Amino acid sequence: MRKELIAAILLIGLVLGVALAPVIGRRLVRTDVIEIHARTPENGGWSTMNLEAKVGEPLHLRLTSDDVVHGFALGQTNEPMLEILPGEFVETSLTFDRPGTYTFYCTRWCGVNHWRMRGTIQVSGPEGTPEKSAAPLYVRLGLDLDVAHPEFEAPGLRPSVSRGRALGIEIPEQFAAPAYLREHSPLDLFGELKGLPLGEQLTDQQVWDLVALAWAATVTPQELADGRELYAENCAACHGESGKGDGVMADNLAPDGSDSGMDDHSLPTALAGSPPDDSFGHSITAPSDFTDYQMMLAHNSAALQGKILRGGMGTGMPYWGSIFTEEQTWELVGVLWGFVMEE
Amino acid sequence: MNRLALTSTPWIKNLLTSRWPQFIVRTITLAGFLLTILAGLFGSRVGSHNFAIIFVWIAWWSLLKLVFIPAGGRSWCSICPIPMPGEWLQNGGLLGPGGRPLGLGKRWPRKLNNTWLQSAVFLGMGIFSAVILTQPRISGWALLGLFIAAITLSLVFERRSFCRYLCPIGGFTGLYAQLSPVEIRAVDPVVCAGHTEKTCYTGSAQGYGCPWGNFPAALSQDSNCGLCMECLRTCPHDNLAFNLRPYGSEISAKTPLKLDETFLALVMLGSALVYTAVYMGSWGWLKNAAYHVGTLPWLAYALAFLAITLVVVPGLFFGAVWLGKKMSAAREPLKKLAGLYGSGLLPLGMATWVAFTVSFAFAKISYILPVLSDPFGWGWDLFGTASTNLSLVDLWLSPIAQVGVLAGGLLWSSRLVMRLARDRRQALPVLAFALAHAAGMMWLLVG
Amino acid sequence: MQSTKLSLLLFSLIAAVIAFAPAPVSLVRPAERYFRIEASTFAFSPQTIQVNPGDHVTIDLVAQDYVHGLRIDEYEVEVTADPGQTARLSFTAGRPGAFHFRCTVACGAMHPFMVGKLKVGPNWLFWRGLGLGLVAILSGLWWARK
Repeated sequence: MRKELIAAILLIGLVLGVALAPVIGRRLVRTDVIEIHARTPENGGWSTMNLEAKVGEPLHLRLTSDDVVHGFALGQTNEPMLEILPGEFVETSLTFDRPGTYTFYCTRWCGVNHWRMRGTIQVSGPEGTPEKSAAPLYVRLGLDLDVAHPEFEAPGLRPSVSRGRALGIEIPEQFAAPAYLREHSPLDLFGELKGLPLGEQLTDQQVWDLVALAWAATVTPQELADGRELYAENCAACHGESGKGDGVMADNLAPDGSDSGMDDHSLPTALAGSPPDDSFGHSITAPSDFTDYQMMLAHNSAALQGKILRGGMGTGMPYWGSIFTEEQTWELVGVLWGFVMEE
Repeated sequence: MNRLALTSTPWIKNLLTSRWPQFIVRTITLAGFLLTILAGLFGSRVGSHNFAIIFVWIAWWSLLKLVFIPAGGRSWCSICPIPMPGEWLQNGGLLGPGGRPLGLGKRWPRKLNNTWLQSAVFLGMGIFSAVILTQPRISGWALLGLFIAAITLSLVFERRSFCRYLCPIGGFTGLYAQLSPVEIRAVDPVVCAGHTEKTCYTGSAQGYGCPWGNFPAALSQDSNCGLCMECLRTCPHDNLAFNLRPYGSEISAKTPLKLDETFLALVMLGSALVYTAVYMGSWGWLKNAAYHVGTLPWLAYALAFLAITLVVVPGLFFGAVWLGKKMSAAREPLKKLAGLYGSGLLPLGMATWVAFTVSFAFAKISYILPVLSDPFGWGWDLFGTASTNLSLVDLWLSPIAQVGVLAGGLLWSSRLVMRLARDRRQALPVLAFALAHAAGMMWLLVG
Repeated sequence: MQSTKLSLLLFSLIAAVIAFAPAPVSLVRPAERYFRIEASTFAFSPQTIQVNPGDHVTIDLVAQDYVHGLRIDEYEVEVTADPGQTARLSFTAGRPGAFHFRCTVACGAMHPFMVGKLKVGPNWLFWRGLGLGLVAILSGLWWARK
């Protein structure tokens, strides 16, 4: 019957049209663009973690998120970070002028394992040995990052820059230079100053205040501001906005295991009950309190920088070596000292 | 009788009885359904950017609850794509009799000739609803499952067995259809009495016998009539009409709900409370429990959900009916009284689901246009609407509408219950139950 | 019948009063209110905050696990917070009633249902609704008197 035939053609046409639409749609995607899906590390992380590129040839990326807000940035570069919203697509093209291994990473906190969301881009180029970067300061100084800190008599009050300034004493140049400050601890400077003639007339507290004054020169105000931004974006979630080690992620990092569960804060404790690890089997502990000056003053600046670079220590502290430039790590060290000493 | 026969207007009659308009609409809904399944299974995992989630749980669900059911009873069933391929295979044709039928054509088992299965499927989906509603893959599989079930049932059993006995939507749609302002009824019973072939049921060269298994000549209830218009085509005496009628005119003391229908009505009332608490409430732990299928909290949620819908709410209702029976010293069996008052509470049930739909639909309508341009969430922009953010309704209207609808439903139900009750005292506990339910819904929605 | 028309009119009048009578103006002096709201999947904590009409409200949104947002229905004020970066929202609660506040940044599957509630003054809509419900039941009972 002709009617049946027409009806059948209409039906099959519409059905096939719908069925083929996604197939054709997929085919029309540019082949030179690499599509990467961002997911939380618990859901698989970046869908592609290893990319390859050639020097001078742009690498086209199309990024989207399958679950929560993520971000994309290239470590140790000044490329702006891209926001990746769930279901939305953002495109970027990266061009490299030097061969090497580059790290890309997620820039928006997406759970306690956010920092693990990293991938590498292997850039190959004309033959020749790639530049070897210098060893970090703590390595050159031969510092052991994991050794316990010496006991010392801490000041009664938090060392204060303004009190130090009010003393009206000039600090010897060699001790006011970043070069010195970055290689020593406030305790070292305390010892040095105490040994000088000017130190003999001052109380211990006053010497500590002088140390605070000197230590403010570790970073310029601009560097401190930049550092604070980095700290807010990368560190505050665990270390706390005030440096006390009480960041929102620290809820999951209780040292004695009494946490409220990793993936959900609103479940009553009895129902949540997951062990204090980061679901990847690594044990983690709560971050230290940077505002605890009685502990921090014995820390060496280079060692602090080293811990930022290397992480680890069996605590869940990420390693930032491939992410921050050296400048940025010193900015962060300046922020840390800002927690220890007060204005 | 206060009926307006729409089919006495020639162009309306032609529109309804001609097979082409219906076929074209059904083909479109089928294509849409296929797109839904494909988008669900292969599209973006982000629900707000997936055609399957937005079109099924926002667009279609809103249309169903706010338009199709209140205005047309089972009108969605007449264009629903899910049974169509099965029906076309079963009939061996797309546009009318004459083809070679396929399938075993078995009779549906007597024991299952009720709505118990539909309640079960509805509750079953309810336990997993949080995952179905938010995960495109799961939605896709669920819809594909229903699709396969419908086709399979069409090839094993006669007529639209899936629609009548299994479809989770069909259960409550049929119940609320008893309130609807439309119906298909025989015009003159004398004509039917004189017609021995009863082709409205057995079929003829002009049309199939009622695909829903009704006997159109004697049809008196809308609950199982899918408004497919087939009987209008088959009747050689043009003795069937599509009528407009007053709301709720089908409910009467002579036709109380059967026990399975009463239970379904109560399941709908109870599940509305649970869904509102889970989705519209502020209790994050409840949402997490409902979502994390397989965990202990989810099991607790599932058990609580079943307890509330199968035990607590029915228990309270039957208790209220029993109390009324005691207070009025009535002699009818409890089951019959429960069915009577159950039918009286149907307007409350329909209003409850309208209010619940309004509570989330108004806020999410803005997702519809973008997802039309990018159904798979792959970054397409077919119609240029991928980034529009058109919220069609002002949000402040939503809570007011919810309260208004609930109050209206309560008003309708209380008057209906009093009309059905033989004795005022008998109805009091049931009215208290209705008030408590409406108050509960109001508190959950706007409290 | 006269009495039916009269009773219909009476009930309609009562319903209209319940629905539309203006709510009494709050006599409480507007104050500064501060709330620290923690957002995690998929809840706000506290989930309900109560203020008086006219209060100047400041909310610090603290994201616990992912990036979350907060927008208040009808007030249309919005803020987004990353974990480690508390975000602040300030507004004057001029409009009385009960309003949902929702998460505005996709934060997982149940994100569309992540809501909390801001109550400004007494929840008149709820009480009116309850009143209307009562009138509905009473009118049903009254109607059956005949």
